Amino acid sequence: MANLAKLTIKNFHDGLVAKTFSAREITQAYFEHIKEREPEVGAYLSLAKESALRDAEAVDAAIAKNETVGALAGVPLAIKDAILIKGLPATSASKILEHYVASYDAGVIEKLKVQKAVFLGKTNMDEFAMGSSTENSAYKLTHNPHDLDRVPGGSSGGSAAAVAADMALGSLGSDTFSSVRLPASFCGVVGLKPTYGAVSRSGLIAMTSSLDQIGPLTKTVEDNAILFKAIAGKDPLDATSCEANYEHIDDATPGDIKGFTIGLPDEYFIGGLDNDVARETDAAIEKLKKLGVKFKKISLPHTKYAVPAYYLSMPAEVSSNLARFDGIRYGADPNEERAKNLMDVYFKTRGKKFGAEAKRRIILGTFVLSSGYYDAYYNKAQRVRTLVKNDFDEAFKDVDVILTPVSPTPAFKIGEKIADPLAMYLSDVFTGPANLAGVCAISIPTKPSSSLAPKELPIGFQLIGKKWHEADIFNLGRHYENN
Amino acid sequence: MSSSINKEELEHLAKLARLELDPSEEEKLLSDLGNILEHFKELQELDTSNVPPMAGGTDLKNSFREDTERENTNRGAGTEAFPESEKGFLKIPPIFE
Repeated sequence: MANLAKLTIKNFHDGLVAKTFSAREITQAYFEHIKEREPEVGAYLSLAKESALRDAEAVDAAIAKNETVGALAGVPLAIKDAILIKGLPATSASKILEHYVASYDAGVIEKLKVQKAVFLGKTNMDEFAMGSSTENSAYKLTHNPHDLDRVPGGSSGGSAAAVAADMALGSLGSDTFSSVRLPASFCGVVGLKPTYGAVSRSGLIAMTSSLDQIGPLTKTVEDNAILFKAIAGKDPLDATSCEANYEHIDDATPGDIKGFTIGLPDEYFIGGLDNDVARETDAAIEKLKKLGVKFKKISLPHTKYAVPAYYLSMPAEVSSNLARFDGIRYGADPNEERAKNLMDVYFKTRGKKFGAEAKRRIILGTFVLSSGYYDAYYNKAQRVRTLVKNDFDEAFKDVDVILTPVSPTPAFKIGEKIADPLAMYLSDVFTGPANLAGVCAISIPTKPSSSLAPKELPIGFQLIGKKWHEADIFNLGRHYENN
Repeated sequence: MSSSINKEELEHLAKLARLELDPSEEEKLLSDLGNILEHFKELQELDTSNVPPMAGGTDLKNSFREDTERENTNRGAGTEAFPESEKGFLKIPPIFE
């Protein structure tokens, strides 16, 4: 039997086609490990054991018949609960979707099903992806597998923790302002926020449609490229999705990085950066220098305005996107007393079943969109978004990729920031600008989890690439992890 | 520009957003929203008069497709989540008293 800790998507595929093990054996091993580890980590909201084993058996049957199978066949994945898999629950960690069962497959799930991937279950998250610690889940806390007293990061905390704790070989999360990269950094895994439009958002329960992107979380950069290539591409059900050329992104040998220039933005290396984060980021830069990469100081002058611009424009989209949850259409509570009229149903279910952060954002969004405030807040924030994007356009004239820390601190303690929304919002200060600009960005652990000292927390560094240039950040990351 | 929301405004916003709030929630929301808006006042120091707003995440202008008949396996999907339905239509409580 394979050692789950050493398994990657790449070597799983090799072992599978060499018949060293079967897909069913490995899927079964994951469920056994989940039984052991899940009670203390809490990464999953629901498991799909029956369908997972059945799908794994179908892969084994294909291999027995000597059929050629793809790189993701039989790969046991965990999926964020905001992404729909037909016939499985999709709560987005909200009480208002407690009784909802998905009636169709998300675009990314359709693609993964064609590749015969296996879905172990749905992972915990901040309610409707609103948060940076997964503490806003209406159902449970997820604990950081490296230190159970700490948060896994969020909002895709369950997806990151599942991979870090060997309860899945890879996972999908979604990233609106930090939600794949922050938990990846806190949990010591690789997490990608693709270029806006690279991956279909069809079947992703929307939070901020103009920023949301689904992205993979994996143990290695190489695995991340494999999973990303499988989910990327145009989908007629998402009008903002595009076809880009990702042909060579997962080639066996990563592309050359000699002669690459990486920019280091002054605004990201500031006072207030945690000592460990500063030291680890410097070490990553030194390692890349040894690989022949050049570095150059740059400036992204509007960085500090990204968080305020986001927290004034995002709620506007939230208040519109969450208007569809009326307490009726997406699985009503069977125990609920019937309200006397329709308006009463709306007020009562929305008041009772949305969590505090969701309500805060709905109210703020309703406020910034109301007449008299629209120009001062919403429109102003959209103009500032243009300035943030222009910063990146300018910087990318001089450099190929930008390197920054992922977060000012490593994983913080559970309960530390939950009472102060503003402190929580500032966890995203280094990740959010890439979302506003629509560019791609990846969080890569500065060192593998296996070489962390006891009690040492994982720390990720961020590589930000030009739009549609995921290949650049993957190539750099693959050379980094191979050396 | 006002950087806070008073109780009356909050209740109006909650009504527009179809949210029933209890008094302790209102209190917490008033203080949170005050803090958030105060902190984000710094946007006002930027001159954006000549900057166009960026509303979407993509440079695409329009995305057209042919309006042709397509195979669709999802027709009628969603109705199973309705508490009560009739011939694919959703049954709801009365709109008027």
